[in-house]
Amino acid sequence: MPNQMGKRYTCAECEATVLVTKAGEGTLSCHGQPMEIAQAKPLPSSD
Amino acid sequence: MILEMAADALGDRLAIGTRADGLTFAQVRAAARAVAVRIGEEHEHVETLAMIDPLSPLVPASLFGAAWAGVSYAPINYRLPDDQMQELLRRLDPVVVAGSHWVDTTHDSNAEFHPLPERPAVLLFTSGTSAAPKAAILEHDQLLAYVFNTLEFGSAGDDEAAIVSVPPFHIAGVAALLSSTYIGRRIVPLPRFTAEDWIRIVREEGVTHATVVPTMLARIVQVMEADPDARVPTLRNLAYGGARMHKSVLERALHLMPETDFVNAYGLTETSSTVALLGPDDHRLGLYSDEPLFKNRLESVGRPVPGIEIRIADADGNALEADQAGEILIRGDQVSGSYVGTDSKVDAEGWLHTGDRGWTDIEGYLFCEGRADDTIIRGGENIGPAEIEDALLQHDAISTAAVVGLPDEEWGEKVAATITLRPGVEEIDVDHVQEWVKARLGSLKTPEIIELTDELPQTATGKVLRRQVRDDLLAKYGS
Repeated sequence: MPNQMGKRYTCAECEATVLVTKAGEGTLSCHGQPMEIAQAKPLPSSD
Repeated sequence: MILEMAADALGDRLAIGTRADGLTFAQVRAAARAVAVRIGEEHEHVETLAMIDPLSPLVPASLFGAAWAGVSYAPINYRLPDDQMQELLRRLDPVVVAGSHWVDTTHDSNAEFHPLPERPAVLLFTSGTSAAPKAAILEHDQLLAYVFNTLEFGSAGDDEAAIVSVPPFHIAGVAALLSSTYIGRRIVPLPRFTAEDWIRIVREEGVTHATVVPTMLARIVQVMEADPDARVPTLRNLAYGGARMHKSVLERALHLMPETDFVNAYGLTETSSTVALLGPDDHRLGLYSDEPLFKNRLESVGRPVPGIEIRIADADGNALEADQAGEILIRGDQVSGSYVGTDSKVDAEGWLHTGDRGWTDIEGYLFCEGRADDTIIRGGENIGPAEIEDALLQHDAISTAAVVGLPDEEWGEKVAATITLRPGVEEIDVDHVQEWVKARLGSLKTPEIIELTDELPQTATGKVLRRQVRDDLLAKYGS
């Protein structure tokens, strides 16, 4: 499925991280594999 | 970029205003583009867009529009006397002031604006509690580091709304705009704060999130204590910061709003706002636990946010151990410490010297005592005013307090306090107040002078102007 706006994707092999700032059709890949979506660990709201 | 993302993904969601009259993210984008186009076409030589309005759609339109036009954004205190305002504008020249009518036009073009602006993103004049205000420089990269390290895009539900009563010319006001845009949460402005209006609007607009400065929380607590119906059941999260929160006020607030999550946010203008957070669980543990380690944390400002390092240093800059007090140093991508025309506060290793005194506990929770400059030195002993103010505030009749040092021939300095009384209290016995402090902190820390006043001199966000408190006491009592 295409990468989602605003989500972070990481490469299992090299730990490169990408933040998607504009939606599009494609899928990010790195080291020959589709990048994995990173789980959010939200902080409490401070502002 | 942040506004572009929000408008693309959440364009129909309300960005700012009431449910009846608010603008969506798409509409704010259109207004911001109009500001950018106007600057590019009519004000080409300008390097800074100044904004002298209270919070309204013009504010985000100016913040984001300036970035697209490649100029800096400088929000200015709209309550300043005219001559001071003119002086600040002179320092920002070449500058144009955003006109309120600028958001009456919109712009739909998909034209790319400056993708990599050369000018700093934001210029913020610091509190100026001592000398003339300095213009702190915040770069795009630093503000974005704060956003990307601490927030998740679009993470707010569309039922969320944040009431913002901190002014746009304070870092908390800038951060509120950036954060709420990135997470997709509606902002409900309250430009002129009263506790009654705040409670009313939270109820009327179903507000879920709020950020306040401590003096605002103290007033809200007073209104709630006087009226059991003055409650805010929709409020999920209450963040506070910007000045020291006194423990007695915080405890009363926690008891009055047990369903609300409380968050202490510690940060400076120079750090693009929050660098340390004390979360809701720590607040509840602090209130209900008997374990001293957890109990004491209610006075902590929490642990560093992702991407931030905190060090406690001695006078030579060497790192100290847990529980040792020294200067708070901060390092990270969101940290600036640069100013227009004066030296940076960042050293060769990238550490920002905050001028705040504090320590960390064994698990890295930060405790902030206050400005190093405010420490009173009496008979060779360092006395932090905050501890004495906390003790005074525990007294039922006392509303606010400021403790300063006055010159003393014998001891170097003597401790003096200016206090205000809670509503309904007419007078107070000074001897009794001194006994109150002495019983809690000992005679060394007991104020020799206790002065009553109607209101403490403060900045727009409730930071006490200690220099003025001291000057007023000196004028009355001599040295």
